Amino acid sequence: MSGLLRARWLPLLAATILLGIVMGAVTRSFGTAFNVYVIFQTAALDAVIGLSQMVVLAAGDLSLAVGGLAAMATIIIGDLFQVHHWPAALAVLAGLALTTAGGFANGVIIAGTRLSGFIVTLATGTAFTGVAYGISASAAYSDIPASIVKLSQGRSSFFPYLMVLALLVTVGMYAGLRWLPGGRLILAFGGNRDATMLSGLSSRRAQITAHTVSGLLAGVAAVMYMGTIGTATPAAGSDWLIISFAVPIIGGTALAGGEASAFGTLVAAVVLSAISDALIVLNVNTNAVEMAEGLLILAAVLASRLGEAAQRQAGRRGVLGRRA
Amino acid sequence: MSANEGRGSSVTGFAESRPNRARAVALVAGQGPAVGLIVLIAATWTVFGAINGSFVSSFNLYGIGQLAARDAVLGLAQAALVVMGRMNLALGSVGAICVSLLGYMLVSAHISLPLTLLAVAAAGVIASVIMGVVELKTGLSSFIVTLAFLSAYGGGALLVSRGDNFQITTPALSSLGSGTFLSAAICPLVVVALICAVIVWVIYSRTSFGWKSLAVGANERAARASGVNVAAVLLGAYALSGLLAAVAAVAESSYELSVNANVGSDWLLPSFVAVVLGGVTLTGGDITIGGILLAAVFFDSLQSGLTILNVSSYWLNLAEGLVLLVAVIIDQLRRSRRGPGRRGWRGRDERPAAAAEVTRV
Repeated sequence: MSGLLRARWLPLLAATILLGIVMGAVTRSFGTAFNVYVIFQTAALDAVIGLSQMVVLAAGDLSLAVGGLAAMATIIIGDLFQVHHWPAALAVLAGLALTTAGGFANGVIIAGTRLSGFIVTLATGTAFTGVAYGISASAAYSDIPASIVKLSQGRSSFFPYLMVLALLVTVGMYAGLRWLPGGRLILAFGGNRDATMLSGLSSRRAQITAHTVSGLLAGVAAVMYMGTIGTATPAAGSDWLIISFAVPIIGGTALAGGEASAFGTLVAAVVLSAISDALIVLNVNTNAVEMAEGLLILAAVLASRLGEAAQRQAGRRGVLGRRA
Repeated sequence: MSANEGRGSSVTGFAESRPNRARAVALVAGQGPAVGLIVLIAATWTVFGAINGSFVSSFNLYGIGQLAARDAVLGLAQAALVVMGRMNLALGSVGAICVSLLGYMLVSAHISLPLTLLAVAAAGVIASVIMGVVELKTGLSSFIVTLAFLSAYGGGALLVSRGDNFQITTPALSSLGSGTFLSAAICPLVVVALICAVIVWVIYSRTSFGWKSLAVGANERAARASGVNVAAVLLGAYALSGLLAAVAAVAESSYELSVNANVGSDWLLPSFVAVVLGGVTLTGGDITIGGILLAAVFFDSLQSGLTILNVSSYWLNLAEGLVLLVAVIIDQLRRSRRGPGRRGWRGRDERPAAAAEVTRV
């Protein structure tokens, strides 16, 4: 089954490499070390945003609060560091703790009220964004920890240090969903809610775990973004909604739940980042990139649906195979 | 979905054995959110009015009506798909297309207002129906289809309009959004919203399209089995949603007066606040038009009140989010207290008997 899993995102990777070769040959600026660094830097951030959504999708739910949580984390870290002079590490820890708690709250509300994640996170996401704007009075904090900037903007030739962090998170998510009881529970719950509950597993725990992890990752993404742009602004996360869905879905995570592909998510982030960079290098309007993203989501979901149908016909689909 | 279907058949059993009581319960349940909202609005106005007299000044009431009119129309546009168990995340992007077209035709191309409005309405309907066609052809959920088009249409509108600002100077249009009607406290847009509400009410209570739409939302398989052409009804719902999005786009242009393709980027929240606060079931099958109107009035009264109390506008987002959160939680508690068997007051209780038979088999 691991062969099948790999087949999911290998074509994506191949397409990106092809795109890279063609663009590198056609234009002068695409293949430079700096440009490749920019592509990977954006991809690293998008991958973590996507993983934050992926873990909730795996549980058969969704979160519109990823961006709101990130805005809140950004402002809390910025405020604690610049205004209250907390040490950088402590401020970051506080920010991460807050988004984790925010994600936990989402999970508790959703599991407790049996409302859809959509409406709950629409509400809480707005509220979290509101906290960010309220505390910062809509202003940005320009003084942010040097260590965060070093991590986010540091590079060795074409390879951003940020990508190491993204890789760590990806491996962590892959291992967690595959081997940890909590991860297995999330996938089982996302795959078949009724069966999970009938086997005596806690559906409440599955939902709360998924949303809590999502909150933590939203916080990590916030730190990465803050360092990348060099300021802590409450507008952080305001345009993450579409990318948070596009990355995992294009990477092969099923919207219906029960399936997740952490590495697919990382590859999809690289693909999207390379495409938008290519369009910018070719002087195409950035709004066209946004348009392309929307159509890519549709194409990816359709492709995975066709793939599933083909699999079903081949009769190779096992009970465990779905959860690979 | 499967849980809903199971519930559906038990509802019918209930309704058949005790029809009068079921109907009485349904009637009260249907009025519930409206009564609650009227009390809430009265409380808001009394409290804010007592703290600061300028809250009930005609100037402030005018502003509340102006915003509430747009939000009510947005709620109706969202409800058109919610009643079918769908949702429309791309409402704002359809609005962006409409605003860009309005700006281009009226300001850049100097085309007459009636012709422009007609084209804008057509654009809203077509853009929305395309999403319906994609949903039907691909079998994907409305969530993912409208999410994709939120991005595609939003980017497209900005791309084509190049983010240009359009200064609306047409007197007829600006008097709609900034003039007065009967009294200095009433914005003409309120009348527009009320007309929309009446039309939507007629659609859902008097036309076969409306009834079929509710039936699909209550139980899609049952509706299909009893001969409803779900595809046609779905396209109709998308068309209605797009038309109302176009109305909201024109409304916002009529009072903002300087608009660009970013109009609509903040429509998602008010559209769902009006629907959820108004008492519409998110899984489909019922609609409460009065509730949607009142919810919009309450939402904008609260915002206006907080502004008058000198609450910094930066905290308003938090208030908005919390209002929606509290509303959905209270709504859920209210529904679960009524018992799972009595959920929904129209679609489920008054479903055609033939459809229920099929579900039971």
